[in-house]
Amino acid sequence: MDRVGFAQIMNRPAAVIASLTVLAVIGFAGVTRLVNRFGEQQKALARHLYEQGLAEQRAGKPEMALEHFRAALTYSRDNFQYQLSLARALRDTGRTSESETYLVNLWERSPQDGAVNLALGRLAAREKLLDKTIQYYHNAIYGVWPSNSDENRLNAWFELVEFLLRQNARPQAQAELITLSAELPHRPDLQLRAADLFVRAQDYPHALLEYQHVLQIDHGNPQALAGAGEAAFDLARYRTAARYLEAAVTANTQDTQSAQMLQISRLILDEDPFGRGIATSERNRRIRSIFEDAGKRLDACPNSSAAASSGATPTAVPPLKARWMEMKTKLARLGLRGESGLADEVMDLVLQIEQQTANCGMTPQDQALLLLAQNRAGVEQ
Amino acid sequence: MSNSLNVTSPPAQPAPAAPSSASLPIRQRTSSFSGTTLGEERFFLVLAVFIGVFAGLAVVCFRLAIEWTSIALLGATPEPHTLRVLFAPAAVGLLIAILVIHVFPQVRGSGVNQTKAALYIFNGYIPFRTAIGKFITAALAIGSGHSLGPEDPSLQIGASLAWALGQRMNFSREKVRLLAPVGAAAGLAAAFNAPISAVLFVIEEVIGRWSAGILGSVVLSAISSVVVVRWFLGAQPLFRIPPLTVVRPTELLAYAVLGIVGGVAAVIFAKSIGYFRPRLRALPNWTLYFQPAVAGLVIGLMGYLGAPQIMGAGYQYMDQAMHDQFAWKMLAILAGLKILATTLSFVTGTPGGMFAPTLFVGAMLGGAVGGLERHFYPHLTGATGIYALVGMGVLFAGFLRAPMTSVFMVLEVSGDYSIIVPVILANAFAYVISRSLQPTPIFDLLTRQDGLELPSLEEQREESILRVEDAMKPPPDPVLDSGDTVLAANQQIEYSPANVFLVRWHPAGWTSVTRETLKRFASEGKTEMTLGSLLPPQRLPYLHPDYPLEMALRYVYQTPLVPVLSRADLLKLEGVISSEDVMAKYRVAQTT
Repeated sequence: MDRVGFAQIMNRPAAVIASLTVLAVIGFAGVTRLVNRFGEQQKALARHLYEQGLAEQRAGKPEMALEHFRAALTYSRDNFQYQLSLARALRDTGRTSESETYLVNLWERSPQDGAVNLALGRLAAREKLLDKTIQYYHNAIYGVWPSNSDENRLNAWFELVEFLLRQNARPQAQAELITLSAELPHRPDLQLRAADLFVRAQDYPHALLEYQHVLQIDHGNPQALAGAGEAAFDLARYRTAARYLEAAVTANTQDTQSAQMLQISRLILDEDPFGRGIATSERNRRIRSIFEDAGKRLDACPNSSAAASSGATPTAVPPLKARWMEMKTKLARLGLRGESGLADEVMDLVLQIEQQTANCGMTPQDQALLLLAQNRAGVEQ
Repeated sequence: MSNSLNVTSPPAQPAPAAPSSASLPIRQRTSSFSGTTLGEERFFLVLAVFIGVFAGLAVVCFRLAIEWTSIALLGATPEPHTLRVLFAPAAVGLLIAILVIHVFPQVRGSGVNQTKAALYIFNGYIPFRTAIGKFITAALAIGSGHSLGPEDPSLQIGASLAWALGQRMNFSREKVRLLAPVGAAAGLAAAFNAPISAVLFVIEEVIGRWSAGILGSVVLSAISSVVVVRWFLGAQPLFRIPPLTVVRPTELLAYAVLGIVGGVAAVIFAKSIGYFRPRLRALPNWTLYFQPAVAGLVIGLMGYLGAPQIMGAGYQYMDQAMHDQFAWKMLAILAGLKILATTLSFVTGTPGGMFAPTLFVGAMLGGAVGGLERHFYPHLTGATGIYALVGMGVLFAGFLRAPMTSVFMVLEVSGDYSIIVPVILANAFAYVISRSLQPTPIFDLLTRQDGLELPSLEEQREESILRVEDAMKPPPDPVLDSGDTVLAANQQIEYSPANVFLVRWHPAGWTSVTRETLKRFASEGKTEMTLGSLLPPQRLPYLHPDYPLEMALRYVYQTPLVPVLSRADLLKLEGVISSEDVMAKYRVAQTT
């Protein structure tokens, strides 16, 4: 085509637009090929750097891992996994602000992603932001997990409860645990974990129930037996406690804590003056015995006998020893008609003595006395 | 074609070679679109979209080339104490010098001034060879670690592509000239992934004046290039912006300090370049072969000894500065080293831009100032990352002296308008300090060192505009009325020394009459006739007091007296102006 012909064509806008469109399409095709090829090279490089980062993370070199995760992201900016790993590494090295930026970007891309929400939840937990933590953990619990979804959800849930307990948010922790326990599969390890958390949340009825569920599946599980015993003990159900603790000690003779609780439970059961079906004479004997033991305790720990009770001034209340002596004279009337309140008075004094002498050390006997005095109406019959 | 362009070749940019295919000299061209249904204006808009598309494609390739070069020469992660970091910039510097001297002599420098020169001196002509040369040499320089950025070269590549696409379209001269800024905006927008900032920068720095006529095509090309780049490289911004907190009023003090420090740093940066560039160019010609290599060796040494962050454009490190990754002392050191490295790269004629280094210095300096303030006044300052972000704008305003672009760039990059007050405040401080200590903006300084004289928006802003009200005289006495009889008119003018009188024409308009005409009407026995019935129907042109004085020049030679009227009432005469008044005012203005 000569120059004049070309110039004529270029004077026609439609022809120019068509030519430019064809050129643009060719350009797009060429650049697409180039970008794809370059992208593949970069992805391979990024993968290599990412794996180096993971290896360094495993080797306990978080700073080096961080650099490699960063470099990996330079070559594969969109990669979700790299970003998440970098965000986690940043969080673990204390760079919470940058970690949050990455995670928020990821969250905006995929707000339902369980792993991202869990990472954000952990970040918020690190900063002790209660509401944000609960929100992100809930997102993680009810979010989408690419694999092991049930396991990941339950782990997130347990983490949330542990965070709440660390923050002394016991009512929220209890609420989460009750919902969680209803969703738990019949797996002793998970139920045991839930039961332990119930104990930490001081929700002993649910803890006992959960331990009992474990024992239904795994009858001789020493941890469950000990836990059930402890929960029953804290509920003042000493007979049940004694039963579980006995089995726990039998299953694990090294379990000194259970053994001690078992001893206390037995002492309580043996010494409880308010036990059902006890003859009056036996009841009076037990009260006198408890009273004498308290007196001995007072003699053995004289420094604590100065004050009658905590918060009371010495001039307003007579010293404990004087009160004990006074009570001893009254004790002769125990069992007489019209002296029905005397037993309670004795137990009140015993409670005060045990509380005041606590700094002298508590033998199982003392602990049993204290618990008896505290729970005189609540001891399981 | 250049034979007919009749241009003078400046020392920095030799006269362009003649494109062989153009059949008409541009100055003789008239649009060939007048007879078509599309029309030149609309076709130019369509072409602007294509310019954006092709500029976008070119910038994608350019970015890939830089990254590929960087991986090949410096490794996936440039690390200190490695020999490649030490020697790669020097070796590539040698190669670049050979290419620039023997193959692509027009690719020296950033590309902004060259594009501006093309617009104002060469009718928009930038040889396509320049685009190819810029692509290769800038990719090599930035990829090997020279402290330069890809934005300004992208701008020039875009402008050159625009010329290549538009030169054969037989546009009018006005449109042909616009090709360069349209392509420049597309290239810059694609490189920075920020169309608004690119458009503003091209208006502030390339076109050098506000012009509504070009805005549509510039915006279209910028948008289309950004769309192309995002299509291929994703829509993520250049930086991950840290969570922004609302700035407390007391904290503005801290940002003002940042503005002052940034302004001083910008002056040091600009003065270093302004001082060393002509001196290095004045050295014997054989040294030109080694200048980029020596600069590369010094930069490589900095990287080798522990600061590889200053090598290349450094976007990932700006990102890290925004996320508290460096202690404030390290940030301050990096800012200082980057000024030194960029000065070395730039003054030795290594092709590459100053956009990215400016942002780098700003981010590091901002982070350093924020970190220092937080160290001493922890209750006063917020996150360091925000200071780094604001610092970018500060250096941009102080060093490149593009105040509008600097504000919009930060807003566009951050996507958050809550920082607009600190950005404007800090940028204003930096701009004012920089202007006081360095009156000539860096781009104007560079063009003057190259022996060119190009328009500057900053200088235009500083020029005082003369207006009609500055030169006009009070209304003459008497002012006649079209309802006056010839007799009454002659009585009114009897004691007036003037020879020309204005006549208020009802219901609207003004005309004039001379003393001789009125006397002639009287001698012809028309004393009882009104002026309205005797004077011809032509009306005088008129002006308003706020019009620029230049506008008066259009009319003062058509009529001896031009009425200056109130905008609220066209029959109310505010004053009159004549050619003598205009000239007298210009003479006074020139002497003062």
